[in-house]
Amino acid sequence: MTMREFKSLKFVALFKGLFRRFGVDYEVMMLILRIKLTMDERRVPTVFNEMGKKKEGNQFLKSLWIYGIYGLLLLPFLFIGENYIFQMSIMFGMILFILMTSMIADFTSVLLDVRDKNVLQTKPVDKKTITVAKTIHILIYMSFVTGAFVALPLFVGLYRHGPLFSLIFLGEIILAMLLVVVLTSLLYLFVLRYFDGERLKDIINYVQILLSVGLIVGYQVLIRAFEFTNIDITYSFSWWHFLIPPIWYGAPFEMILNGNTAGYMIAFTALAILVPIVAIFVYSRLMPSFERNLEKMLSDTKSRKPGRHLLDEFWAKLLCRSKEERGFFRFSALMMKKEREFKLKAFPNLAMSVIFPFLFIFNELRIRSLADISEGNMFLFIYFCNIMIPGTIFMLKFSGSYKGGWIFRAAPIERESAAFSTAIKAFLAKLYLPIFVVVGVAYIFIFSARILPDLGVVFLSAILQSLITYRVMKDEDFPYTRSFEFAQDPGTARMIMMTLIIGAFLGVHFIARAIDYGIYVYLVLLIVAVVIGWRKTFPENWKAEDVKETSKAEASI
Amino acid sequence: MDSAKESILSIQDLTMSYGGKQVLNGINLEVSKGQIIGYIGPNGAGKSTTVKIMLGLIEDYKGKVVIFGQDISNGDPSYKRRIGYVPENAETYDNLTAMEYLVFIGELYGLDQAFAQGKAESLLQQFDLIDVRHARLSSFSKGMKQKVLIISSLLHNPDLLFWDEPLSGLDANSMMVIQEILSQLAKEGKTIFYSSHIMDLVEKISNRIVLLVNGKVVADGSFEELQEQSEEGSLSGIFNQLTGFTEHREKAAHFVSVVRGDHDDAGV
Repeated sequence: MTMREFKSLKFVALFKGLFRRFGVDYEVMMLILRIKLTMDERRVPTVFNEMGKKKEGNQFLKSLWIYGIYGLLLLPFLFIGENYIFQMSIMFGMILFILMTSMIADFTSVLLDVRDKNVLQTKPVDKKTITVAKTIHILIYMSFVTGAFVALPLFVGLYRHGPLFSLIFLGEIILAMLLVVVLTSLLYLFVLRYFDGERLKDIINYVQILLSVGLIVGYQVLIRAFEFTNIDITYSFSWWHFLIPPIWYGAPFEMILNGNTAGYMIAFTALAILVPIVAIFVYSRLMPSFERNLEKMLSDTKSRKPGRHLLDEFWAKLLCRSKEERGFFRFSALMMKKEREFKLKAFPNLAMSVIFPFLFIFNELRIRSLADISEGNMFLFIYFCNIMIPGTIFMLKFSGSYKGGWIFRAAPIERESAAFSTAIKAFLAKLYLPIFVVVGVAYIFIFSARILPDLGVVFLSAILQSLITYRVMKDEDFPYTRSFEFAQDPGTARMIMMTLIIGAFLGVHFIARAIDYGIYVYLVLLIVAVVIGWRKTFPENWKAEDVKETSKAEASI
Repeated sequence: MDSAKESILSIQDLTMSYGGKQVLNGINLEVSKGQIIGYIGPNGAGKSTTVKIMLGLIEDYKGKVVIFGQDISNGDPSYKRRIGYVPENAETYDNLTAMEYLVFIGELYGLDQAFAQGKAESLLQQFDLIDVRHARLSSFSKGMKQKVLIISSLLHNPDLLFWDEPLSGLDANSMMVIQEILSQLAKEGKTIFYSSHIMDLVEKISNRIVLLVNGKVVADGSFEELQEQSEEGSLSGIFNQLTGFTEHREKAAHFVSVVRGDHDDAGV
């Protein structure tokens, strides 16, 4: 038996001396890393093993190309002259955004993993080594993400701005990556210290969601730091810029390549270099307490009293016909409320759905007045509410406790399609609708009641888009039966397609508005499409055998 | 007990609380070499907590725990080199094969890779698992996994064994083998600390029984000594008596009547 040798570990081996200096048991750390990387290559689908196609290999590495595509977004900033403080701050804003998002969404679970505590910590291995192994494990993947993301800009930058530029870029990328990993870890360390048990898990969930939202807002703040006058972009220093890390990383380029040696530029540069390094030292001091506090994740002593879900009951009665369907609906509603991993992956999406429609209005307010805006077509930005649909519908397949899914096979379920149809109903009623109503009401205040038919169109498009997304993504009969390990599957391309559909809906909406009474015709067409689409997707009145046959036929396609 | 014997493990005034709830209420225990200790008690009595403390999984306990003469709160994990542990929930790295898992664990205990591999192979052979040694643990039944865990706790020939529910999932034949292994290991001078809910077995293989109720030791001694203290003939009888549980028959009768539907108003 030979275990594969990993190239990434050979790279880690270069820092052998450094690990020893920090008091890490180097051999054991490498051993743990090798095992972890081996396991990452072997994620096997779910309880219904025989149903899924087995996919070997590291699924995460296979999904890296998407970061390469994100990297394309950075390229334009390399071609808008030599205003480095502006273009590199924006670039690093994007880089930090992507890295932070990836860290929060994909690697928090690795950092906070307590499952292997019983395996590792009962062996003669000290805690520091375990935590460092964890951090390095994350850093290996983060380097892949970063690499895929900045490789192209780095080469283009070399060609466009010369080797010195690329050198600064490379150095800063490494610093930025360390900053993201270590600061996130420190944040969790802080949270772990003050809370415990289930409450801790909830808080961590909220912290993750807040971070994601904070990143979006932070990006807006970053742009405010620059003044756009016609074609010129000028930078003028204010003290609060010290709080915006992307500007730290923009400064060295300005300082070295443009020779701008103002005091604040030097200060920014110092921050860019020193903050990650200080953070690493602080982290290495606090690491043992991290593992100790992780134990709190396991303790849950509070029993909660069952809450009353009047609203859920209302929707269940309104939207579901059979008892079975209502049962599924309540189950879905509970899963959406309680399932942490689901919340973690879905809620940032929801937050963006709320923020974006307002963000664009605010941006517009800088140029013209609210009265001016209320006359126009800006309310169509409410289509941004719909960007949460593909991601969330996609997530419905997954659950942290996917192993419980055997019950769907064991129980005498009459209409299997009800499981997913109610999950989508629950999504629309419990997650989409509240957000849509909040944004919609605010928009009616801004744009007056004239937009009511348009709002109707947007809502129906959302239902139709949910159906289309479900049909495209469908590869499982029951929701909540797959491990989140597979959420990284190459479904990303399909997800992007599904998001782009919003553009199509928007286009048709525009055309409909251009024609007299077009919007009402479109509204009726959408209602018909939704009713037929729903019937087709979730066959209702057929006998059980027929349903089985069609679902088999669909599965074989 | 022979007090001149070498002390392996010593627990003094051990208390532990989780979020305001007292789990351990002052446990005192002296264990000397070669003892097989059956650590029993009702669910939630604090058995696993004690074992986790001794393995350094839980640190914010109060009291003193000394293993092989070392106070384990000093943060040095090296005492674990002489301990073998079987966790209660059969937790493993399921994506690894049995062989990979065993070699990994062996290496964590500081064994040479080739040595760990050879030993794991011979031990798997004894448990008739040699044919599945390159299959992933995720495909193993609970009993098979349990055997792998038992092997993983013995690879480095430890002096002290902590086995939390070692017999769960095993069939009757395997249980007999494990039982025999336990007594032979004890004869070789190993000290064994295990917990189980199977009273007949604890009665048979332990030479000392420690009964824990609500985080307190309520009985400690050989089976014969416990028998003298109480009037019950079997360990389960003693267990029921000391945990104050007598109404099992009524409980069962009531349970079955609910299943039958006497109290059921849901209707189908």
